[in-house]
Amino acid sequence: MNIAKTSYMFDMLLFELRDIVGKEYVSVRDSDKEVYSVDYFWLPEMCHDRQDRSNITRPMADFIVHPANAEDVSKILKIANNYKIPVTAWGGGSGSQGGALPVFGGIILDTKRMDTIYKIDEQSMTVEVGTGIIHQTLEWELEQKGFSTMHDPGSARCATVGGFIAHRGTGVLSTKYGKIEDMIVNMEIVLPTGEIIRTLPVPKTACGPDLNQIFIGAEGTMGIVTKVTLTIHRLPETRAFRAFVFKDLETGLRVGQRLVSENLQPSVIRLYSENETKEVIKKVLGIEKTGAYMVYGFDGKKDMVDLQMKYAQEIADSEGGEDLGAHPGEQWWNNRYKFFFPPYMYRLPQCFGTLDTVASYSDIQNVYNAMKDVVEKQYPMARFIGHFSHWFPWGAMLYGRFIIDTPPEDPHEAIYLHNSIWNDALRAAMAAGGVLNEHHGIGLKLSRLTPELYGEAFQLLKNVKTTLDPNGIMNPGKLGFGIG
Amino acid sequence: MNITAKELNTIQACRYCPMCRQSCPSEFINYKESDTPRGRAMLLYSVYKGGKPFEASTVEAMYNCFLCGACKSWCEGQELGGYDIPELVKFARRDIVDQGLAPQIVQDIRNSLLVHDNTQALDKSHAFTATVEEKRADVLYLLGEGVDYRYPEIARAFVQILQTAGVDHTLLKSEPNSGKELDLLGYRDDAKEKASALINRIQATGCRTVVVSDPLVYDAFKNDYEQWGITLEAEVLHVSEYLLRLIQGGKLRLKPVDFTVTLADSEFLGRFNGLYEIPRAVIQSFNPVQFVEMQWHHGYMQSTGEAAFTFDDKAFGRGKDLGEKISTKAEEAGAEIIVVLSVTAKQHISATTSLKVVDIVEFVNEHIDIF
Repeated sequence: MNIAKTSYMFDMLLFELRDIVGKEYVSVRDSDKEVYSVDYFWLPEMCHDRQDRSNITRPMADFIVHPANAEDVSKILKIANNYKIPVTAWGGGSGSQGGALPVFGGIILDTKRMDTIYKIDEQSMTVEVGTGIIHQTLEWELEQKGFSTMHDPGSARCATVGGFIAHRGTGVLSTKYGKIEDMIVNMEIVLPTGEIIRTLPVPKTACGPDLNQIFIGAEGTMGIVTKVTLTIHRLPETRAFRAFVFKDLETGLRVGQRLVSENLQPSVIRLYSENETKEVIKKVLGIEKTGAYMVYGFDGKKDMVDLQMKYAQEIADSEGGEDLGAHPGEQWWNNRYKFFFPPYMYRLPQCFGTLDTVASYSDIQNVYNAMKDVVEKQYPMARFIGHFSHWFPWGAMLYGRFIIDTPPEDPHEAIYLHNSIWNDALRAAMAAGGVLNEHHGIGLKLSRLTPELYGEAFQLLKNVKTTLDPNGIMNPGKLGFGIG
Repeated sequence: MNITAKELNTIQACRYCPMCRQSCPSEFINYKESDTPRGRAMLLYSVYKGGKPFEASTVEAMYNCFLCGACKSWCEGQELGGYDIPELVKFARRDIVDQGLAPQIVQDIRNSLLVHDNTQALDKSHAFTATVEEKRADVLYLLGEGVDYRYPEIARAFVQILQTAGVDHTLLKSEPNSGKELDLLGYRDDAKEKASALINRIQATGCRTVVVSDPLVYDAFKNDYEQWGITLEAEVLHVSEYLLRLIQGGKLRLKPVDFTVTLADSEFLGRFNGLYEIPRAVIQSFNPVQFVEMQWHHGYMQSTGEAAFTFDDKAFGRGKDLGEKISTKAEEAGAEIIVVLSVTAKQHISATTSLKVVDIVEFVNEHIDIF
């Protein structure tokens, strides 16, 4: 919308918003607008980076509002509907898909004031929490009492719980404990038209469709989740890790699949492609090996973990793995966040993207090959690496990445190249049985491909969206919904 | 000012990286993205590479930083990359000052420091040191503004300890300012002048040891003066270091402590000077004493706001918000006494808890047997 600051309507809206949350919690400062115009998506970063040598601009919010609770959110959304102003939720700003970018201006609704831990129920093993809490803060409080959500992604230190819900986040312990959607017991949600609802107290009912599922992964397009009750677990008595190198990725994939299908219940399996073993494992962990590097881990009672480790080792040995011992595995665990810090993480001027996808065990190798072929054959300036870090009973997630060290200097050409790689790689993945994304979400980055993924079923999603958000104010431009 | 390679390295690494955001105390007081290490680096990129002027809101974001170094402690790439947000922010503040863009409150504090040698325009006659007799001595006790003007009981306690231990000591009459606060605000030239004047006064006492109460002043001696070409022919110790020396030298006889004690680490002693174990050793010299750590300690401490210029919540930050985080953790740890290492910590923490909050000097003084 971008209302001119000189317009009296700007003052009128500003007054209404300040009346809800208080003057100090509405910002129209240029510095705030600037920092909310860049999340962890390469595109706005690149545009910000090149501000000194190009005239490409970034969409900015008009108002940044910090609500304290669902009631505040409700009032803000009612105002937004009255004036048909876009509303985009912002948590930790660590999303890689541009999901939190205010691409059509309007209101940024920063959720971080909603950071209260309401209740830790040690009998039911749940925690009720405001969705604006930085996940690490929640974990630290739980750990003091001997608990954890066991949701442990690389973004744990910077993402909010609400951000995880918005894009169906996955942590490194997902193979045993599931994705964020598996941990949700119930939620408080503010609908786009301002009604505050609560989903059923427990998720496993036979009372019709699960309303949680409309809002999980919806990236703030269907409403704002303001509170959530999550499952928690006791901290394990022990954790054990072991690292192996397999001669090739195919062997590693087979080992991973066997660790799951033989019901050993690993908490962690991470398998790195030959390229990523050479490039990333060496850089971060200092381990220099040829082949596919794998770390697996188990947690729980020591006797049980010992037994699980014994059976896992039998599988790895039977597939000819080179046993690197426990230390490299523990080293990975202790450095699991380090991968995402500079100077270890890819960064500008490089052009890069995480092509994470998920497919069945029958398809996952083909998905990997298809993506790798597309990137390497059609885009010789790019290289492709990948690892497999979330394993389900039926399949596994591929965390593919492309990296271009010297992208085009012209930002428009750079965007075209970036988008072309995404389109071609993901279309190849979908043709081979994969999907657009496993845990980073869709956001702005993949919005254009969402109708293609869903096919005829996309109209159903659009109908739900239109019913809930008749004015189309919620996070326009994301998840394939466009604007209005 | 021209950006240097060091500052540019930090800007380029931090401008889009959110990984330390959970550690930044200013964000969790203000909840603004511009009040994060990432936000500040991004704004400074626009200034130094994008050619934007310092807008008022960018200036405000720079002065909202507590310079506590939490972001450095939590950065897992820091060791290899050497990223330094506090140094970057101080660089930006100097540039803001050079361009004549310092906020009025900053200018007021500077003027107060130049005229009154303290940040709050207090008359010098209000200082503890206004009436002391200065003389030549082996040991000089340097109070710092907080003790000198707001917590004279700490000065009285330390003087009593020195007398008990039979230490030949002196204080500087109407103690001058160290220049540290001026440098933190962006006035390095003024800071250097203040520092030189202080050094001259110190050297006139003939002392061989300077014992410093204020972590900011201690940091100035340890990290700034040499860089500014100012040297002092005397050893400089924090009061905790000197107390340990007295205790280990048998100069103080200690009584048992019947309370559970915790320590609030100091960011300027700890993060910038590695002084973590000595204050603990002082506390644990009492036998018996029940010492407990809070959830966050050593490099992962919660910031006390030593460089926040909070002034009873009137200026940049809300000190009580910082203090409350620490007192909550102290209560969770089961502490009955919180020992602090700066008057800022004492002020911020004691405002939020019924627990006893004492400076390390007061703690020792309360628990020594007079020979």
